[in-house]
Amino acid sequence: MSAAAPSAQLTAFSPRVRIRRSFSVGFMVAALLAIAISMIMLGALVVEIAVDGAARLFTDGTAVEREARGGGIVTDLPTPVGMAWMTWALPVAILLPFIGPRLLNSLVPGLPRLAERLIGLIVLAPAAVFIHILYVRFESAYLIDYARAVGIDGASGNLLQLFGEASGFQIVRLLVIGILLPLGILAAGWFWSQRMRKPSMLIPAIMIIAWVVYLFIDPWFLSSFPSRKPADAGIFSAVTGTLYMMVITAAIAFPLGVGAAIYLEEYARRNWFSRMIQINVSNLAGVPSIIYGLLGLQVFVRVLEFERSVLAGACTMALLVMPIIIVSAQEALRTVPPSMREAAYAVGATRWQVIRFHVLPYAFGGMLTGNILAMSRAIGETAPLIAIGALTFIAFLADSPTDDFTVLPIQVFNWVARPQAGFHEIAASAIIVLMVILLLMNAAAIIMRQRTRTDW
Amino acid sequence: MARNFFTMMKSTAPSATEPSTAERTVAPPPPSMKQDAAAGVGVHLDPTLEAVRHDFTEEVEMALELRDVSAFYGSFQAIDRITLPVPRNRVTALIGPSGCGKSTLLRCFNRMNDLIPGARITGRIDFGGRNLVDPNVDAVEVRRRIGMVFQKPNPFPKSIYENVAFGARINGYSGDMDRLVEDSLRRAALWDEVKDELDKSGLALSGGQQQRLCIGRAIAVQPEIILMDEPASALDPVATLKIEDLMRELAEDYTIVVVTHNMQQAGRVSDYTAFLLAGEERVGRLVEFGPTQDIFTNPLDQRTEDYITGRYG
Ligand SMILES: Nc1ncnc2c1ncn2[C@@H]1O[C@H](COP(=O)(O)OP(=O)(O)OP(=O)(O)O)[C@@H](O)[C@H]1O
Ligand SMILES: [Mg+2]
Repeated sequence: MSAAAPSAQLTAFSPRVRIRRSFSVGFMVAALLAIAISMIMLGALVVEIAVDGAARLFTDGTAVEREARGGGIVTDLPTPVGMAWMTWALPVAILLPFIGPRLLNSLVPGLPRLAERLIGLIVLAPAAVFIHILYVRFESAYLIDYARAVGIDGASGNLLQLFGEASGFQIVRLLVIGILLPLGILAAGWFWSQRMRKPSMLIPAIMIIAWVVYLFIDPWFLSSFPSRKPADAGIFSAVTGTLYMMVITAAIAFPLGVGAAIYLEEYARRNWFSRMIQINVSNLAGVPSIIYGLLGLQVFVRVLEFERSVLAGACTMALLVMPIIIVSAQEALRTVPPSMREAAYAVGATRWQVIRFHVLPYAFGGMLTGNILAMSRAIGETAPLIAIGALTFIAFLADSPTDDFTVLPIQVFNWVARPQAGFHEIAASAIIVLMVILLLMNAAAIIMRQRTRTDW
Repeated sequence: MARNFFTMMKSTAPSATEPSTAERTVAPPPPSMKQDAAAGVGVHLDPTLEAVRHDFTEEVEMALELRDVSAFYGSFQAIDRITLPVPRNRVTALIGPSGCGKSTLLRCFNRMNDLIPGARITGRIDFGGRNLVDPNVDAVEVRRRIGMVFQKPNPFPKSIYENVAFGARINGYSGDMDRLVEDSLRRAALWDEVKDELDKSGLALSGGQQQRLCIGRAIAVQPEIILMDEPASALDPVATLKIEDLMRELAEDYTIVVVTHNMQQAGRVSDYTAFLLAGEERVGRLVEFGPTQDIFTNPLDQRTEDYITGRYG
């Protein structure tokens, strides 16, 4: 009686304990369910393979069909194995790192830290191996598929022979994802057990993004050039062109924009001249982009004779995003409190030393954020590039800044404008790629802003 | 602690003022007296700019000599023709009601006002034979030789070590940096608290530690004069006491000018006191200057007496 009373009281008066316990139970149930279902799927798979043989299992949704339909979004991917992999392995992969240690804790309370970790690894390792197996099976299904399409008899299931026929990209994908994925899961679990929450969240987050891309985008689509046939067409030149142009744009616009911002904020006297520049910069940010295109056409393409090159495009884009970069860099500079500048001046720093060692470092995160946002605007701009005459059919990679080029939005524009439905589909795929790139850039900007924030 | 605080106050403050200050602050002056004092201000301010000056009671060199220093923010004149000596290796306190131009005056000493658009100074500030007000004098050099500690602790968001080393580094210090950092932090009475975590951010310290870090930072460039603008006003009594002790110690090697609103503090730490006051048009003028003891025990100007006894301000 007397022994039971305190513990009863404890439960009654500490709702937190109760909540935590119910959480643990929830996690436990979820984890057990996920593991059980995965095991069943795995078992079913083994049985199925044993009974029917690989060849029959993997004949749904062939590459031939895909060819006929026009490529692009790979909605026909999930064969039974693929489906299993997608439906169960993914949640397990994402959940396990989170629930593994908790699960153990709730099962055996008061477990020593070390044991908890060891057992966590022991639980996670088979999960990782399991997913690895699933993945390889799935990929080999894909390869068999592919082999059929190109005329090899995949029924033999000889992976080595298939590798001989598979593209380099596929093999890399097989190895990278098939090995990195389980490793990633292990790493996430380990980080979690070390109470390093952020990396343990980051890894699943990256995995989710990779899955989304992977499930919807055919790797061939990413790695091939445009074509007259929708089935053969890809966005390789558009993606690389976009990246190429963005790098040059940033290289031009960031130093110039930041320099202008430093001048306006730190050096310029507050007179009519600097006010005029300031007002003009703000207004330029609102000028329609096609105007920049026409300017670029005249100045870079014609007068400076850059032709319709990556360089001309990048210069035009740099002009377009410069006002955004200047304004955001100015804002970043203004967030550095005057007391910091005074402190630096008071120990005998020159104006440049104050800027170089204090203002710039403290404002740099904000500047980078602004730069990334400006770039993500530039990445979607189409009109100015059409104005300077960027091409839409580029079947080679630009290897110098003076080469012709194309970018994603122009490629999309071109495909959408065509009558064939196949092109519309691959345009949709290209848009997904563009969106993913944009989302990644914005996420990077947000993370950067969080990480570089100083509380004064 | 309270006891310590009290004895400390007694030992350094002129003992004669002590009872009277206590009396006067405890019993609020009758309203009629207050009015008289206020009326007296107006009468007093108008006719003369000449400040009352006590005689020096010791032989002392001057670190700075101000002559007719006026400061303007655009068209607004903040201080008017202040003539004031600053004795070397002494603590000089600037006191006066809010808005009378103490900070403005202090910032004239190291050309900090240059940083404010539209601010300008006229007059002469003699510093080792040169006139600090002269635009040809390099303000950067002036600021290296005349350091400053601000009201709100403002360490750089960098490591403690970097906070101290920065000034020396940019000024081309080529000696042993570790030694300099240690020395400076020791002199700032902070070394023992932070010696094991010099990599920690300066912002991670407590307010009082931050302020001592700022003092260490100022010391590290080996200035001749250290200006302090209400260095303890954001701190609790214990941290304040530490800063005050520190000021007394530093006065052996440096000339210190400190702005304070706290009369007891001025009495405790300073050797000399200058009392400033702004009239109705908000222009700050020097009213009285002299050894702290004299100013506190025997103020010659009625307004000074009113101010230090807490009658207004
Ligand atoms: N940057 C500025 N621009 C314009 N006027 C200013 C500026 N700084 C101070 N002033 C004005 O100059 C006068 C003196 O200000 P100052 O800061 O020197 O006073 P203070 O004696 O230090 O006051 P406190 O004790 O409150 O700190 C005030 O009237 C103030 O309004
Ligand atoms: Mg002030």
